[in-house]
Amino acid sequence: MREVVKSGHIVVQKVLKCQALRGLLYNFIKNRKRDRLKKIACDHCHLEFDESVMIEERAEEQTHYFCCRGCQGVYHLLKDEGLDNFYDKVGDTKLQPAAALGQDLQKFDTEGFVKKYVKVNREGLNEIHLIIEGIHCSACVWLNEKILHRTEGVIEATINFTNHKAKIVWDPQLLQLSEIIAKIQSIGYNAYPYDAKLQEERINKERRDYYARLLVAVFATMNIMWIAIAQYVGYFTGMRADYKNILNIAEFLLATPTLFYTGWVFYRGAWYGLKNRFVNMDLLVATGATLAYIYSIYAMVMQHGEVYFDSVTMIITFIFVGKYLEVLSKKKAVDTLDRMTSSLPTEVIVIEEGEKKLKSVEEVQEGDIIEVTPGDRIVIDGRIVMSDASFDLSSLTGESVPVHKGEGDEILSGAICLDAVVRYEALKSYENSMLSTIITLLEESMTKKPKIEKLANEVSGYFSVTILGIALMTFVGWYYFGGSFEHALIVAISVIVIACPCALGLATPVATLVGLGEGAKRGILFKEASFLETMAKSNILLLDKTGTITEGKPEVIGYEEIAAYDPSLLHALVSTSKHPVSQGVRRFLEERHASFSEMPLVSVKNIEARGISALYQGVKIVGGSAKLMEEMGIDVATDADKSLFAFVIDGELKAYFYLRDRPKEGAKEAIAQIRKMGLEVAMLTGDVDEVARKIAKEVGIEKVYSSLFPQEKAAIVDRYHEEGRIVIMAGDGINDALALSKSDIAIAMGSGADISVEVSDVVLMDDKITSLADAIRLSKATYRNIKQNLLLSLTYNALTIPLAVAGYVIPLVAALSMSLSSLLVVGNAVRIKGIFKKRRKDG
Amino acid sequence: MDSNILTLMLGISTFLGALGLGALLWGLKTGQFDDQKRFLDTVHFDNEDDLRDAALMDKRRKEREERRKKEYRPPD
Repeated sequence: MREVVKSGHIVVQKVLKCQALRGLLYNFIKNRKRDRLKKIACDHCHLEFDESVMIEERAEEQTHYFCCRGCQGVYHLLKDEGLDNFYDKVGDTKLQPAAALGQDLQKFDTEGFVKKYVKVNREGLNEIHLIIEGIHCSACVWLNEKILHRTEGVIEATINFTNHKAKIVWDPQLLQLSEIIAKIQSIGYNAYPYDAKLQEERINKERRDYYARLLVAVFATMNIMWIAIAQYVGYFTGMRADYKNILNIAEFLLATPTLFYTGWVFYRGAWYGLKNRFVNMDLLVATGATLAYIYSIYAMVMQHGEVYFDSVTMIITFIFVGKYLEVLSKKKAVDTLDRMTSSLPTEVIVIEEGEKKLKSVEEVQEGDIIEVTPGDRIVIDGRIVMSDASFDLSSLTGESVPVHKGEGDEILSGAICLDAVVRYEALKSYENSMLSTIITLLEESMTKKPKIEKLANEVSGYFSVTILGIALMTFVGWYYFGGSFEHALIVAISVIVIACPCALGLATPVATLVGLGEGAKRGILFKEASFLETMAKSNILLLDKTGTITEGKPEVIGYEEIAAYDPSLLHALVSTSKHPVSQGVRRFLEERHASFSEMPLVSVKNIEARGISALYQGVKIVGGSAKLMEEMGIDVATDADKSLFAFVIDGELKAYFYLRDRPKEGAKEAIAQIRKMGLEVAMLTGDVDEVARKIAKEVGIEKVYSSLFPQEKAAIVDRYHEEGRIVIMAGDGINDALALSKSDIAIAMGSGADISVEVSDVVLMDDKITSLADAIRLSKATYRNIKQNLLLSLTYNALTIPLAVAGYVIPLVAALSMSLSSLLVVGNAVRIKGIFKKRRKDG
Repeated sequence: MDSNILTLMLGISTFLGALGLGALLWGLKTGQFDDQKRFLDTVHFDNEDDLRDAALMDKRRKEREERRKKEYRPPD
C-alpha cells in the first residue's frame, strides 16, 4: 500500500512539474467542473472547484478556499504586502492558478545569459526586456508593476498592456536579475527575456515617425481644402486681389510643412533611386509636387495667375497614406517572432565528470553529455545514451502524437521531452542543429521577399521618365517657339500635374486597399499589398495535411460495446493522457454522457505510443491501440487507415472505438473551387503515405508528398520554383515554417503556431479552408481590377497629355481633371466588393 | 469686410489647430500612444497610490544619481 501511495505521489509531482501537463490538467478540471453541484471559487484565481478538493483555511471569522498551494501562497503574499486591493481591481476575472515554479533561477545570472539579454545603459544601470506570461487583465499588469516598484533596487518597471512586454531598469549593485524573476514568479506569473534590439525598436521608431508625418499631412490637407474651396469659388465669381493674396499665403503656410516634412519620404526615395541609377515613382511625385510648389510661390509673389498649393498637399497626403499602411503591417509581425525565440532555452545542463553544470548553448561541443528533464525543449541534436522517454515532435513533423525514443536513438532539436529525465550525447553544435538552422533561415527569408514589386517599380520608372521627358520637351518647345518663359513653365507643369498622381500612383493602391479591406472583413489578412498581386498570378497551391486540410483532432467514427462497463472509469483513464486519440475518446464520452463520477486511479502508466494503463481498486484497466491488444493477447479486428482504441478491464475486452482525423468542413468543395480557378493542388505532410493518400482522395487531391521533414518540404517548394511556378503554401505548425518562408505566398491558419503566422504573407483568422478559396478569388478579382485601372488611367493620360502639351489645359483644369480621373479609378475599385455578393446569389 | 479680419480669422484658427497638432505630436514623440490599453485601462486604477509610486521611483533614480556622482570613478 505504501508503495502505491509513493508512486502516486511521484506521478502527482511529475504532473505538477511539467508545464504542459499542468495546462492540460487545468483545462480538464475546467471541463469537468460543469458536471458538479457544489462548487467553490478559489480566493485567488476565482476558478471554481468541488468543495472536497479545496484547501480550507480559517482565519479570524472568515474562511478562505484555495485550489492549490500556489494560489494560497500568492494570496498571503499580497495580503502581507498590503496589495490585496488587487482582488477589488480584478473583479470576477478568472486567472490561471499560481504555479509553484521556482525552477533553477541561477541561469538568469550566468554570464552568457546576461551578455545576451541585459543592456547596460548610460547611467550604469541594467536594463532588460521581458515577456510576462499569465497576464489576463489590466489588474494583473497593475500588480506586476506594483510588486516590482516595491522591490529595492528597481528603478523603472513598465509593462505594456497590449503585448505584455515589460521593460525593467535596475541597479546591479542592489539586485540580481534572478531576484526580479523570482519576484514575478512569487505572485504567480512567469517571465521570459527577449531580445528587443532585434527589430522591435527600429520598427517602432519608424512607425511613430511615419505617424507623425501623416498627422501633419492630414492636418494641412483638411485646412487647405476649406481655403481651396474659397479659391475655386473666387476663380469663377471673381474675388478682390487682397483677399486672394491672404488665401494664397495661408495655403503656402500649410503646404510648406507637408511638402518638406511629410514629402521628405519621397525626396529620400527619389534620391536613393537616382543614386542607384533608377527612376521611380517617388521621383515623379517629388518633381511634380516641387515644380507645382515653386510655380505657386512665383504666382503668389508676382500676384499673377493661380496657385496650386492645394494640389501639392493632396498629392503628398494621398500617396503617403499608402506608404504608412505598409509600415503598420510590419509592426504586427515582429511581436510574434519575439514570443517564439524567447521560449528557447539559452542554457543546458551538461554532465562533466559526474557533475551537473550549466553551459550556454553556444559553448556545448560535440560529444558533451546533456541532461533534459520533462518539459524541456531539445536545442541541440544528439543521440540518447541513458534512459528513454516520449518526445513531442510536433514542431518538426506537425503530428501531435508523441514518439517514444530509447537508448541509441537520435533526437532532433525542436522536440520536447515529455515524461522522463534523459541524458544524450550532442552530435552537433548549436549552430548546426536543426532548430537554429530553421530559425536562421527564417530570419534570412524575412529580409528578402517580393520580386513583383520591383517589376511594378520598373514600369512606373519608365512612365516617370517618359512624363518628365515630355514635360521637358514641352517646356523647351514652348519657350523656343512661344518665347514666354512663364507660359512655357505653366504648360510643362500642366503636363506633369495631369499625369502625376492618378496614373500609376493611384490605380494600384486604391484597388489593393479595397481588396485588403474586403479581405479583412472576412478574416483574411494580407500582410502587404503586393501579395495580392503575387497570389493572383500563382499557379500551384501546396497544402499541409494536419491542421490545414484536416481538423488535427481525431474523432470517434465507430464504436462497439462488447460488454457493459462504467463510462466514468474509461473517462478517468483517457483523461490522464494528452495523446490526441485519448482526447478524441474523451470528447466522445463527454458528448454522450452528462456527468462522470470521481474514479481515483493509481499507478497511471503511459505505454509509449500505444496506450495507457492504471489500477482502479486493485483491478488493472488498460486502453490502447490494436498493437497493444496484440501484445496482451487480445484479438481485435484492425483497419490500416483508422486508429483503434480498445478498452480492457482485468484482461477482458469491454469496448472499442474507431477514430479518424477528419477533413475540415467544406475542404472538398474549396479545393474543387481552387482547381476551377486554374491552380494545381498538392499535399505535403509529415505523416505516413497510407493515411495521407486516404485523406487526399477524400478531398480530391491527386498529388501527395508524404513522410516529409521540414527541409524536404522546403525543397519541394524550391523544385517548383525551378520549374518557374509561383507557389502558394498553406500550413500551420513550426514544421511548415521553412516551406512557408520559401514560398511566394505563405498562408498560415489562425490557430497555428506563432512562428508560422510570423513568416506568412496571408493569415486566415477563421482557420477555414474555404477562406483560402476566398482569398485566392479576392486576389484574382483585385488584380483584374488593378489592370483595368491601369488601362483606364493610361488611356486617360494618352488623351489628356497631348492636350496639355498643346497648351489647351491650364494647371487648374489639369488638377481638376486629375481629380476626376482619380474618381473614376476609385469608382472602379469599389466594384471589387461585388465579387462575394455575386457568389452568394450563385450559391 | 476688411481683409484684416480675414487674416485674423485664418491666422487664429490655423494657429489654434497647429497648437492641437503640436500637442498630439508631442504626445506621440514621448510615447504616450504606444500602449492603447494602458491609455484607457489605467483610468480605473488612478489614485494617489500610483502617484506615490511614481514619486518613489523618481526619488530612487535621483538618489542613485547622487551616489554615483559621489563615488565617481573613471570608466575602466
